Amino acid sequence: MIRTWAALAAFATLSATVAAQVPAGYPANYADVVAAAKKEGKVVIYSATDTVAATPLIKDFQAAFPGISVEYNDMNTTEIYNRFISEKAAGGGSADVLWSSAMDLQLKLVNEGGALTYESPELKAMPSWAVFRNEAFGTTYEPIAFVYNKRLLTGDEIPQSHADLPKLFAAHADKFKGKVTTYDVEKSGVGFLLITQDSKNNPAFWDFVRALGSVGPRFQSSSGTMMERIGSGENILGLNIFASYAVLRQKKDPGIGYVLPKDYTLVMSRVMFISKTAKNPNAAKLWTDYILSKRGQTIIADQALLGSVRTDVEGEMTASGLAKTLGASLRPIPVSPEILTYLDQTKRLEFLKQWQTAIKGGK
Amino acid sequence: MKRIPLPRLAVILVMATAVLTPLALIVYQSLLSAPFFDPNKKLGFGAFAFIFADPDFWDALRNSFVIAAGMAIIAVPLGAILAFLMVRTDLPGRRWIEPLLLVPVFVSPMVLAFGYVVSAGPVGFYSVWAKSLFGGVPWNVYSLTAIAVIAGLTHVPHVYLYSSSALRSLGSDVEEAARMAGASPFAVARDVSLPMVMPALLFSGVLVFFLGFEIFGLPLVLGDPEGHLVLATYLYKLTNKLGTPSYHLMAAVAVCIVALTIPLVLLQRHLLRNAGKYVTVKGKAGRQRLLPLGTWRWPATAVLVLWLVVTVVVPLSGIALRSVVSSWGEGVVLSEVLTLDHFREVWDQPTLLRGILNTIVIGVVGGALAVACYTAIGLATHRRPDGWSRFVDYLVLVPRAIPGLLAGLAFLWVFLFVPFLSPLRTTIFSVWLAYSVVWLAYGMRLVSSSLLQVGPELEEAARSAGATRGQVNRHVTLPLIRYGLLAAWLLVFLIFEREYSTGVYLLAPGTEVIGSLLVSLWGTGAADIVAALSLINVALVAVGLAVALRFGVKLHD
Amino acid sequence: MTKLVVGDLHLSYGDNAILKGVSMQLAQGEVVSLLGPSGSGKTTLLRAVAGLEQPHRGTIAIEDKVVFDGARSVEVPAEKRNLGLVFQSYALWPHRTVFDNVAYGLKLRNVSAGETKERVTSALANLGLDALAQRLPHQLSGGQQQRVAIARALVYNPPVILMDEPLSNLDAKLREEARAWLRELILRLELSALVVTHDQNEAMAMSDRILLLNNGVIEQQGTPEEMYARPQTLFTAEFMGSNNALRGTVAEVRDGSARLAGDGWSLWGAARSTARAGAAGTGMVRLERVRVADAAGDNRVRLPLVTSMYLGEKWEHLFSAGELRLRAYGRAPLAKGEHWLEIARDDMWVF
Repeated sequence: MIRTWAALAAFATLSATVAAQVPAGYPANYADVVAAAKKEGKVVIYSATDTVAATPLIKDFQAAFPGISVEYNDMNTTEIYNRFISEKAAGGGSADVLWSSAMDLQLKLVNEGGALTYESPELKAMPSWAVFRNEAFGTTYEPIAFVYNKRLLTGDEIPQSHADLPKLFAAHADKFKGKVTTYDVEKSGVGFLLITQDSKNNPAFWDFVRALGSVGPRFQSSSGTMMERIGSGENILGLNIFASYAVLRQKKDPGIGYVLPKDYTLVMSRVMFISKTAKNPNAAKLWTDYILSKRGQTIIADQALLGSVRTDVEGEMTASGLAKTLGASLRPIPVSPEILTYLDQTKRLEFLKQWQTAIKGGK
Repeated sequence: MKRIPLPRLAVILVMATAVLTPLALIVYQSLLSAPFFDPNKKLGFGAFAFIFADPDFWDALRNSFVIAAGMAIIAVPLGAILAFLMVRTDLPGRRWIEPLLLVPVFVSPMVLAFGYVVSAGPVGFYSVWAKSLFGGVPWNVYSLTAIAVIAGLTHVPHVYLYSSSALRSLGSDVEEAARMAGASPFAVARDVSLPMVMPALLFSGVLVFFLGFEIFGLPLVLGDPEGHLVLATYLYKLTNKLGTPSYHLMAAVAVCIVALTIPLVLLQRHLLRNAGKYVTVKGKAGRQRLLPLGTWRWPATAVLVLWLVVTVVVPLSGIALRSVVSSWGEGVVLSEVLTLDHFREVWDQPTLLRGILNTIVIGVVGGALAVACYTAIGLATHRRPDGWSRFVDYLVLVPRAIPGLLAGLAFLWVFLFVPFLSPLRTTIFSVWLAYSVVWLAYGMRLVSSSLLQVGPELEEAARSAGATRGQVNRHVTLPLIRYGLLAAWLLVFLIFEREYSTGVYLLAPGTEVIGSLLVSLWGTGAADIVAALSLINVALVAVGLAVALRFGVKLHD
Repeated sequence: MTKLVVGDLHLSYGDNAILKGVSMQLAQGEVVSLLGPSGSGKTTLLRAVAGLEQPHRGTIAIEDKVVFDGARSVEVPAEKRNLGLVFQSYALWPHRTVFDNVAYGLKLRNVSAGETKERVTSALANLGLDALAQRLPHQLSGGQQQRVAIARALVYNPPVILMDEPLSNLDAKLREEARAWLRELILRLELSALVVTHDQNEAMAMSDRILLLNNGVIEQQGTPEEMYARPQTLFTAEFMGSNNALRGTVAEVRDGSARLAGDGWSLWGAARSTARAGAAGTGMVRLERVRVADAAGDNRVRLPLVTSMYLGEKWEHLFSAGELRLRAYGRAPLAKGEHWLEIARDDMWVF
């Protein structure tokens, strides 16, 4: 008898917390989603965001929705894509949520019908460029910067805009020779995406590439390797590096500096979508909503240091903060199939060929 | 036809499946136009057409040849000289130098390569020092030459192992006969010792040349800044070149690598058999009088120490230093940036901790299981010179020809698409299976050399006393080789601790091992953690080596 | 002229003394065998002469030239001693043809190509190897390999040729032929040779003098006949020939004779210096010196026949009663039962 009472009491408390968990402004029936999510008990995420950066989000999410565990799988962008398509083909279990900075690969999966359509209650607060068909959502706001070594590059040697670069390279050819680093666009998907965005935004793009080629750039597969070499002085300037990484790195290595180019600053956004074949779709919805919510975005901005995509979250490196300092020169890469152009093999190889020629100085 | 016993058949069939499935998958995949699980795939030679039209492929192929040849040219003479110095002369300090000679075999090339970047890169610790001494850095670790030289130096132990064991088993009587005929020590070395260990030298030369086509870690780390590709890194690059993964292209490259390495493996086999005819006439290995080096001991010691410094001390000290500083390079005062944060960070990340734990488990438990499997295979062919044994002999060589990177990918496919295996994919078992298959030839060599030491008459005596083959194995053979198996376990442990490329594509939550984490973390550029993990990896290997030496395991045969 | 003189040679491996003061000489045209059980130091002595082992005391001189002197720290390296050594394993270089194996020593002595060819060909012809010059060692039979090894050691005319168990790697049948052949060769070429062997028959057949080594010292030396017929020690007596050992008590010693007595028997023999009346003694008698007699008589003992073995050219009979066992040769089988056995007084040595 006593046990029955205890069980009932426990049930009552539980329903109370469930009710309390429906965030303000969400539809009333959201409680059903929460309840279903609790039943699922977990959400499986494949993510390219470092575990270290994601940990505050995971902790806060679990505080908000106790009883739902987060299986967070940190891997690189290609890995996410490979795993998802092969696991889908094999018919085994895969991720519920995919979260990756390889915007084009994410869009490709979405475009091929891999995503669950979900009208998140948070959509109202999202900029339109960051949402595709209620399937894919841009979750962060990460400007792309020039990163340099403060000890070795000073004063007017520091480029302030893309347009500055060819002039600087010409003026200080010896200084920059073999000391400029950027992505190896053949090895890095992100690097490729950024450079193709450059080609759209920089009116003198191919001249810029030739100028880059003239200083014998060092190509790396990742921003981390570039940063390591800039920090050590082996290279002195890195192009197309996430400013957020530079900010993070600055904390350990005060020798790192960065510039958000004045003529245009590309902005990358990590794309998240829910798998159509998700085993835990409700928990996945909860996670997605949480990431897009003001609460989640505030943590993204303040603790994960990735920059909030929402305009109602304040901060220097968020959409709202950067709009004040850079204004119209911000160029967010849209979460839309238009960025898929270069996933077409012929076009991609054509672009790469042109890139190689220009790096070598040819037309 | 004679029926073969069920356990033997089972062992051989399981092994054949484990070895041939990945290879078949790779070959099949290379003939498709898309991933093999893609419904839109088509059969054809498109993948080969693509890579043959890609200038990068030819570039990588040429570089691979240059590196492989360079490695052989550097490693063979140096390995032979070191072997001669260690086995036949009174070089001071031989006892404690010997284990050091083998360090490069057991340290992941990723670790070494990263060590070279931080210690001898353009602004590396030693480079900055050299700059202050000579006003410039007289080397460039990113050049193709440097990669070939480093690869050559790190493969010296392979040559050393083969030539020192050849020298040891070379009866001293043939050398004494030459001295009696009036030959000076130098003439003895030139006219007798060298020609007689020539088969071993040729064998190890082919081995090193062939390993040259598979090196991955060194060019991955050192080849990037100047864009030097080799076949294995070209293959890795294809993961992204087309934006989406191009399994068919990667498989095509793998088939090309296999097509290059299989003839080399067969050549090795042939050389080994030819070497046998010298063995039959070797005399009794008597007590040898070591060759007094006299004043030559100084240049000899210098060669040895220089090699050790360049191959072991420089990279490992670089890694060690990098793991305790937050930044480095020109203008950084190291004493101001000392920190233990990187280790703390490793400690804070469950993935990395799991990786370390997995690495230990795969070495200790996995190593034991692998040795058990190798022993089962060894016993299945032991003293049974029939068609099945020859079949196994050739099978053992197959995984050697496949680069670890690709074998790992093939195993990922196997674990994805074989229903009863798929639940095991995200467990360390998948990595263990891939490791065990990739290192099959190595392990089998260890096991069969122990098996061969058991006198056949001991087994025959048991059989004539009425024991079945199974009982002979259990009661006579296995107890007799147990120390050999323990030694094999330690050596497999060391190799499993070091392995890095095989786990790359199998890397998933649950299957992390330090080796593949290093590749993956290097990809994201987390150099701090790479350094800390590398140091932990080196520490694990050092513990293994220390245990091996403590128990007097012969690190070679 | 003395070809080789070894004086008071001491050699040890660590604490383990192998040679404890060995002296010997080898005259021109003489064949000396180093005989002894394994571990007696015979091979070590040979290798020390060759320069392959390092003694720590004593002297070695070859043709009056000192090649080793422990006191003066003189040590001529092996390759400068100009000796020929035939290895037990032959140690032919497997990567060289028979011709090249033999020619190597000449090449090192800068002999012209023409002369080398001539001398190698003649050396090979001497040993009946003419047809095999271009073969590789592994294509030869054991006997052929042995002859190549000898040719290789002889071709540059060393003052002394050293042979380490030259016959031990041959089959039993081949060995006897090779023994005669080798003796004949040594005599024909007038070689001075030092031969190591553990086989007393081989030593007796081949050499002019035998040095019997025991535990690092020379037990006895002399001509084969002296060694066989007049052993001075029990060890020598036991080592040479097939023996009956009779254990008993020395009952009396008189005029160079000693009477050895056991349980129900008593025999006279030649007393050796160690024989003392009242002490335990051993009587040694060669098998061929035990004669089966038809009746009782002087120095005879009666024993039952246990068994007879047919050896082809003769029979070997075994007699035994209590502690006493005697073996004897005979031309014919013997009837079962007891027989009288006679041992001539001079044929038994009492130690």
